[in-house]
Amino acid sequence: MSVLIDDKTPVLVQGITGGIGSVQTRWMLEYGTNIVAGVTPGRGGMEVVGIPVFDSVEEAVTATGATASVFFVPSPFVKDAFFETVDAGIKSIVVVPEHIPVHDVMAMRALAEANDVFALGPTTPGILVPGKAKMGIMPSSLFAAGNIGIISRSGTLAYEMAGILSEAGFGQSTVIGMGADPVVLSNLPDILALFEADNETKGIVIVGEVGGAQEETAADYIAEGMTKPVAAYIAGRSAPEGKRMGHAGAIIRGGSGTVASKTDALRQAGATLLTTPIDVLSWADGSIK
Amino acid sequence: MRLHEFEAADIFESFGIPVPLRRLVETPEEAKNAALALGFPVMLKAQVLVGGRGLSGGIARAESGAEASVKAQQLLDSSIKGIRVESLLIEKKVEIERELYIAMAVDGFSGKTAAIAGNRGGMSVEAMSQEFPGSLVSELIPPGRALYPYEAQRMFKSLGLNGKVLLAATGSLVRLSKVFVEREAIIAEINPLAVIADGSVSAVDAVLEIDDSAVKRQSGNLPRTGEISSNSLEALGREIGVSYIDLDGDIGIISSGAGLGMATMDIVAQKLRPANFLETGGGITEQLLYNTMDLMMRKEGLRGVLINLYGGINPIHEGAKGVVRYVKEHNITIPIVAKALGNHQEETWRIFEEAGVVVVRSVATEVAVERLAELLRPSE
Repeated sequence: MSVLIDDKTPVLVQGITGGIGSVQTRWMLEYGTNIVAGVTPGRGGMEVVGIPVFDSVEEAVTATGATASVFFVPSPFVKDAFFETVDAGIKSIVVVPEHIPVHDVMAMRALAEANDVFALGPTTPGILVPGKAKMGIMPSSLFAAGNIGIISRSGTLAYEMAGILSEAGFGQSTVIGMGADPVVLSNLPDILALFEADNETKGIVIVGEVGGAQEETAADYIAEGMTKPVAAYIAGRSAPEGKRMGHAGAIIRGGSGTVASKTDALRQAGATLLTTPIDVLSWADGSIK
Repeated sequence: MRLHEFEAADIFESFGIPVPLRRLVETPEEAKNAALALGFPVMLKAQVLVGGRGLSGGIARAESGAEASVKAQQLLDSSIKGIRVESLLIEKKVEIERELYIAMAVDGFSGKTAAIAGNRGGMSVEAMSQEFPGSLVSELIPPGRALYPYEAQRMFKSLGLNGKVLLAATGSLVRLSKVFVEREAIIAEINPLAVIADGSVSAVDAVLEIDDSAVKRQSGNLPRTGEISSNSLEALGREIGVSYIDLDGDIGIISSGAGLGMATMDIVAQKLRPANFLETGGGITEQLLYNTMDLMMRKEGLRGVLINLYGGINPIHEGAKGVVRYVKEHNITIPIVAKALGNHQEETWRIFEEAGVVVVRSVATEVAVERLAELLRPSE
């Protein structure tokens, strides 16, 4: 079993006709993802890399039975597309785009919670199950199949962590980007719970960063609810206070959201703290073999 | 986008929150005239976007036109936490009976709106929560709506307010929550909300930060000025479309993502001194990385550059062409080490290596930093 998707899951691509949407659709297909349909309003009836395009999510779901959707929709239209997708009954949604207004994300999150929808993002590279399928933009060459789960707020650091592990012979069960905005559609403890329940995952690496309270709150869940070993790396040790470090959510405000507050909480919960990404190898040597 | 106090005050006032009489000035002469028109005493407040402005000497009081002129001159000649003071808000002094605190903020973990009220004010909310934990209450409300008056009243009632002050404070918090929702704020704060002798309230400070991702669709509702970086390299970064933060070292960093950029900065800082944080986001083009190199090379005393890219959504081979074009056109001789992995990695490596950029093929950024450190070590 894998977390959330596998090579059978029928996937819909929203924004499939755009430059990024069409290229990434080809790469997702090449990786083994079962993409069954695309949606772009006004482009119904055409095909992109052999995949039929529909005007609406409802039509796509009716015609193909898609159960999961990945978004390459321009940010101003994401909220509407998200509401449409939930309304059409899809229960797993990956929101790749960045720069979505936070008040939109808050409304999307409330809708997802009310309808029992599992969603990732925004500003996420998506999810990848090595050797099986991916929804999103992760570059396939860095991943190998195995039994370490990775959850990362940053896309590029998820690739780095997976790549370091793969190079040393440690594969991954599933790699999930949770997104880097001030509000995300699924919180870190919710995603940890998926890995705790997944019988292919032996241990989990959390890749966090400064800002917000995700890691601090996850520490409570780790202390109370997790049996599997957890390692954590938090980026931004040398970040100055009050400066937004690229991600909208990555900012130290009034002394909260620092690397110290996150590492202290996680260490007390029993997680192994990594000073630098490459330290993950000694943790894997000791905890995963 | 963090707004200046005078801009935030105008917006708060337009939503019905009482704000003292005030004028924005840029010269001592204007300050004197404003003070005479408003009546004494007046407060002179430097319009700089830093916290702790009062403690840093950014606020003065004047009892006469002459005093207003002298104090305005002093403030306009000063810098606060490195930011030059270019304008002052002249405000009619409010006779404060007591101070309250109100704020609305995005609660990241719950995804809801947090309303916060305090029966004290005038100190930072962090200090207040530590020194007087019973003086603050908060409520989480669903996104997309303002506070209902009964919710705001319940908060102030639990803080011990009654009568006219209870109603005035409740009204201001409800209005502040409307500002928060309708202007798509990340935070809206009044600290302190002053209570005056007659039981009415007045916002004697105003903090409003609009969500950067909503600034475009809010532009018709916002003033045209707003946040201006005091650092010219940071301003240039914003102009070319990268996120650049100036640091005080001499190793330039270019990364294709924020997390990777932070990790690279941390790893460089273990051995060398980072000159900056820089990340491109998902929009790499040939021209973007050409412009990024141009920005990077303006930093004085730069000794080396580390380029750290992943080809997920980014065409990194296009980015490499931009770097190489800049290096050739400007005959750059300081060492440049590049790590670039993912889609189009082989082509990217070839483009870099043909131009003399050192390519590290290992995944770990630690290895690339070590390679750069070696190149910078003086040969024995």
